Amino acid sequence: MIATFFPFDSLVTGAREVGLIGAVVIGFAFGFVLERAGFGRASKLTAQFYLTDMTVLKVMFGAIVTAMTGLVLASGLGLVDLQSVSEGIASPTFVWPMLVGGLLLGVGFIVSGYCPGTSAVSTASGNLDGLLTFAGVIIGSVLYGEVQPLLHGFHVSGDLGPLFLYQVLGVPAPVLALGVALMAMGAFLGAERLERVFSAKRAGLPAPAVGPTPARRIAFATFSGVAALGLVTLAFPGRPSAGEAATRALPITASELAQRVIEAPWKVRVIDVRDEAACLAARVPGSACVPLAKLGEAGLEAATDGRALVLVADGDLAEVPAAARAYRGDVMALAGGYAAWKREAPTTPAAAAAPAPTGAGKAAPARPKKKGGGCS
Amino acid sequence: MDRPASDRFWNPYLAGVALGLVLLSSFLVMGKGLGASGAANRVGVAALDVVAPAHVDAHPYFASLKHEGRGFFDDWLVFEVLGVFLGGVVAAYSAGRLRVGLLKGPRASTGARVAAALAGGVLMGVAARMARGCTSGQALTGGAVLSAGAWIFMLAVFGGGYAAAYFVRRLWT
Repeated sequence: MIATFFPFDSLVTGAREVGLIGAVVIGFAFGFVLERAGFGRASKLTAQFYLTDMTVLKVMFGAIVTAMTGLVLASGLGLVDLQSVSEGIASPTFVWPMLVGGLLLGVGFIVSGYCPGTSAVSTASGNLDGLLTFAGVIIGSVLYGEVQPLLHGFHVSGDLGPLFLYQVLGVPAPVLALGVALMAMGAFLGAERLERVFSAKRAGLPAPAVGPTPARRIAFATFSGVAALGLVTLAFPGRPSAGEAATRALPITASELAQRVIEAPWKVRVIDVRDEAACLAARVPGSACVPLAKLGEAGLEAATDGRALVLVADGDLAEVPAAARAYRGDVMALAGGYAAWKREAPTTPAAAAAPAPTGAGKAAPARPKKKGGGCS
Repeated sequence: MDRPASDRFWNPYLAGVALGLVLLSSFLVMGKGLGASGAANRVGVAALDVVAPAHVDAHPYFASLKHEGRGFFDDWLVFEVLGVFLGGVVAAYSAGRLRVGLLKGPRASTGARVAAALAGGVLMGVAARMARGCTSGQALTGGAVLSAGAWIFMLAVFGGGYAAAYFVRRLWT
C-alpha cells in the first residue's frame, strides 16, 4: 500500500524541485479551468448569491463529487490508502474558527466579488479589482498572523483533530460518497430551477440553458457511475473499505510510540494484548488491557475515529490478529513488545500513575503544528 | 448563442468535472490539494520580512515560515499559485479575454468598487488564516476528502455570502 504515487511531502533535495514543478503544472491546470469556467469575472461569481447564475455551485460541487468519488474508487481498488491520503491533505477540524472563518470569508466574497483563488485568476485576466482583492488577501493574512497570538484560545477552539464525515456518521466512505453525489445532483437540478425563476425577474440577463443538456447528462453519468463503482469495491473480499491493512502489522519502535503517546495521545489507541495480570502490573500509559483472546470483543471493527491502533505484545507481533484486521485505520505493533518499551521508552511521571484503561482521553494539550494542511 | 465569443465559458458541469480531475490528479500523484490563500500568506510575511526582519524572527509562526525549508517560497502552494496565474493568463488570452480593466456592477461607482475589492480581500485574508484555508484549500480540497471541518467551513461560506448579499446589492445588481 502506498500513500500516493509521488508524495510531495516526502521529497528531498533534487526530487523536491521536480515536485515544485509538479505544483506549477497542477496550478496551471487549476487556473486554466477556473478562467474557462468564468471565474475570473466578479459578475459571474457574485450572481451565485443573487440566484441568477449558479455556476459557482455547479463547478464547485461538480469538482468535489468528481475528486471525492475518484479518490474513494482508487482507495477501493487498493491503489491508495484513503485515510492516509486524506489526513495528509486536509487540515484537522477546529469547529469554531472554521465556522466563524467561513462566515467572514463568505462576507468577504460577496463584498470583493472573488474568493482568494479566483482573485488570482481575475488578476491574471488583467482585472484591477482582482489584483486589489488579492492584495487585500495578502494584507489580511498577515494581519491575522499578527493578532493570532492574542486570540490563541479561539484559534484552536473546537479541536477535533483529523476528522472525516464518514467517521462522524459511521458509514463506509463509498456509501457516503454516493450519498453526497446524489445530493449534489439534486442541488444542481434545484439550482437550475432557481436560475430560471430569478433570471426571468431581471431583464437583460441571458436565459440559462434549460433541460437535460448533453453536458449535464455526461456529467451526471460520470458522477453516478464512479460513485457506483466505488460502492462495488466494498464487496471485494477481504478489503474492508479504508483499512485494507493486510495482515502484516506495521512496526513502531518504543521511542516512536512514546513520542506519539506524549505529543498526540488522541491520535493513537494503544491496546496491550499481553495477559491481564502482566498488563495491570505495568503498561504503556494510556493503553487498555485486552488479552489477545478477548480482542474480538473490543469492537475494533466498529471504531470510526480514525486513530492509529498500536498493539503491544510480549515481543514482536508478526501478524495482525484476526480481530483487528477490520480496524479502519493503521494497525501497528510495538517492535520488541513491552520488553522493548521497558528498556527504551522514557518513563514520564504521569506514566506510572495513570490508570486510564480505555485509551486516549479527549484533553488536547498543545499539538505540534501540522504543516501544509489544506490551504494553509 | 448571441453572446460574443469572449463571453462564452465552459459548460459548468463539464468545468466541474475538469476541475475535479485536476484535484484528483493532485491527490493521487502528489498527495497534495489545491489552494490559494496559503501562498498569499507566505508572500505577505516575506514582504514583512523585508521591512521588519527582527519582528518576523520574534513571531513564532512567521519565523517558522522563514526558517523551515529554504525559506518563504519553498512551498507547494507558492508554486501552485504561480501556476494558477500562468494558467489564468493563457486561458484568458486564448479566449480573447485578456485586457486590463476594472470589473464592477452596473450601479457601482469606481471608488466603491476599489474600496470593496480591497476591503473584501482583507476580510478574506483574515478569514482564511482563521479557518486554515480558503474556498480552494479548505472548501474544495477538504470538501472532496470529506473533512468534517471543511464542510462546516463550506456551508458557512455560503451562509455568510447569502446573508450579506442583500446589503451590498448596489455593488452587483
